[in-house]
Amino acid sequence: MKMKKMLSLGLSLLMCATLVTGCSGNDNSASESGSKTLKIAGLDGGYGTKGWEEVIKKFEEKTGAKVEYTFDKKISDILRPKMTSGKDVPDVIYLTVGAVGGLTDTLIKEKQIADISALLDETIPGEDVKVKDKVLTNFFEGATADPYGDGTLRLAPLNNAPCGLFYNAGLFKEKGWEVPTDWDGMFELGEKAKKEGIYLFTYPTAGYFDAFFTSLLNATAGPEVYAKLIAYDTEAWKLPEVKEAFEIVGRLKDYTLPTTVANANGDNFTKNQQAVIDGDALFIPNGTWLPGEMAATTPEGFEWGMTGIPAAKAGGDSYSTNFVEQMYVPEKAENKELALQFLAYCYSDEAADLFYKYGALNTEETEKTGKDVYNAGYLIPIKGSEDKVAEADRFMYTLSEKGVKTNSATFMAAEAVEGVTLTGETGILFGSVNSVMNGDKTVDQWYNESVDAVSKIAEANAKADK
Amino acid sequence: MNKTKEKRRFVILCLAPALILFSVFMIYPTINVFLMSTLRWGGFSDFKEFVGIQNFLILFEDMNFIRAFQNTIFVIVIVTVFTLALAILFAAILVREKIKGQNFFRVIFYIPNILSIVVIGAIFSAIYDPSTNGLLNSFLSLFHEDGWIGVQFLGNQSIVMYSIAFALIWQAIGYYMVMYMASMSSIPAHYYEAAELDGCGKIKQFFSITLPLIWTNIRTTLTFFVISTINLSFLLVQVMTTGGPDGASRVLLFYLYDQAYNNASYGYGMAIGAITFLFSFLLSAVINKITERDDLEF
Repeated sequence: MKMKKMLSLGLSLLMCATLVTGCSGNDNSASESGSKTLKIAGLDGGYGTKGWEEVIKKFEEKTGAKVEYTFDKKISDILRPKMTSGKDVPDVIYLTVGAVGGLTDTLIKEKQIADISALLDETIPGEDVKVKDKVLTNFFEGATADPYGDGTLRLAPLNNAPCGLFYNAGLFKEKGWEVPTDWDGMFELGEKAKKEGIYLFTYPTAGYFDAFFTSLLNATAGPEVYAKLIAYDTEAWKLPEVKEAFEIVGRLKDYTLPTTVANANGDNFTKNQQAVIDGDALFIPNGTWLPGEMAATTPEGFEWGMTGIPAAKAGGDSYSTNFVEQMYVPEKAENKELALQFLAYCYSDEAADLFYKYGALNTEETEKTGKDVYNAGYLIPIKGSEDKVAEADRFMYTLSEKGVKTNSATFMAAEAVEGVTLTGETGILFGSVNSVMNGDKTVDQWYNESVDAVSKIAEANAKADK
Repeated sequence: MNKTKEKRRFVILCLAPALILFSVFMIYPTINVFLMSTLRWGGFSDFKEFVGIQNFLILFEDMNFIRAFQNTIFVIVIVTVFTLALAILFAAILVREKIKGQNFFRVIFYIPNILSIVVIGAIFSAIYDPSTNGLLNSFLSLFHEDGWIGVQFLGNQSIVMYSIAFALIWQAIGYYMVMYMASMSSIPAHYYEAAELDGCGKIKQFFSITLPLIWTNIRTTLTFFVISTINLSFLLVQVMTTGGPDGASRVLLFYLYDQAYNNASYGYGMAIGAITFLFSFLLSAVINKITERDDLEF
């Protein structure tokens, strides 16, 4: 009897005990290896992770530091709980503003990104040069690097990737068409192409309007007004030259490939890109990754072309958005000094070479040759980096030589307003483009809703400043 | 006396693990959602401002939220009505009638249910392809003149929710059909024989015998419909349309995700979560109440 009692009690206790197994902490590993462990987390995106792995290996050799790293396609979801709890926060994060999951955007709004202005005076490990003497300084200015606009550096640029309008250069030669430099020319070409059953324009998803539409705003309103626009200046948004950009998009409606909106989602956007290759549409806003992304379905001998966003009027300025990938140090990181050292190392010649050499794995070529073949990776914005670009890709990096001016698509940091999203694929400013293109909203509705959203954010900003 | 005390202690100890797990992983997070819904908070910083019911007040004026709510109700109603009707019909045919390849159909109908939602998204991307080469459009183009541009299944604000609902119905039918088949096959055959002798037709038999006898099963599945449609519609919208075009296919959970993550309004997102929780809870309770009938036993 006693035996049975003991047994049942013992078994039930065991059952309770197993509940907590696996909950034991394993935090001691970090403290044992000392403060010389750098934690890096980043996106496993279009450029793959091989470049990172190589750079990290060299950094470890050079400095004797130990690096733990995680790269994942859903890094946003992995980091979220860590950032919320404030434990095990990475020292360096690579995730660009606007990436799905909104992690970086939220960190900026929550003022959780450390001031890394000291990076510019850091000496690059293995070289005698300071970072500021090595990099292309215009990449370290503006909202992409300094989202608070207070002269501090928060986001370190990792890539120099111009975005613009891509087209089928072979088709233009065949038809004897010129690539227009202003919007009147664009619409004239649109009429000409229409007669041949070709549409002037298509876009992958509304999210790509961040690069396209901000360049267009620069083209119609000029850089001075644009600086006010991204700082949520309501009066600037009400200027007629700002509305002109909205109207140009409205006019594009009649020249846009009709299936664009239905394919403008994560599952089908490549169909819109394919339309340019197939000759169903002429122009598509995109970035330097496009030729690689579409390589599998591009016929041999196809020739890509790229141009800036056309000027508002003949003789005006044409713009192209520079899509810089960003890395940063979170406020709650434990190892900020080592993190700065790593960031500085990313701007060394050695790291820049590795980053460019090892992009994403080219699966087709790898299969064919049996050896690992890599696409081009990040082009680190240091002086002379553009010389690394392969001859075939050079056309994407020579826009500035043709007089196209650069623009950055990032808006300044702002207060979060519940229910009001301005930028991003689901935001009012870019998301509504789908409605304009299929006639569900008029240009006026889109414009008024955007101005309304801007003024709500401006109000929240003003309230927070008090 | 001592024995009952001992027994009680044993029962409590045995229940403890389940109770602890349930409280830690179900009750605590649920309460937490309601607590966080009263905060103005981005999700990461230590800056949390208590705003009371402010988030809920904004919600009821937020047209995007109302639209997402409407979409969710629309999907629940459409998916429930059509899936229920079709699943019962197919189950009745497969159980009561002798048709060739019964098992084959059983498997075929069930397959969509084991596919991941990402695969379903990809399948329907091909079906809904907006060009005239798409599966549906190439069929429809038979009835149209040349130069017809095709139905924009995912690109037209007034069609997109139907497209989503159709995909959800397609994937749900098999699962519910199998559930109804299980309870239908346990109905004794002599009821049907007796009914047949009395001159009842197939349809009369279905409504007077089959339906009343599987009623408890139908009631249970109605609750499943509410819960699974709320969840699956989010996943499918996420994969297929990203809430588009221009927010036309946003459902409650998608809007929650969008606000909490992409708009740095975590507290506001939790308020949407709280409303979704209450809504599904209430809806299930109401459905349970109005479908209450006397239990029939065979």
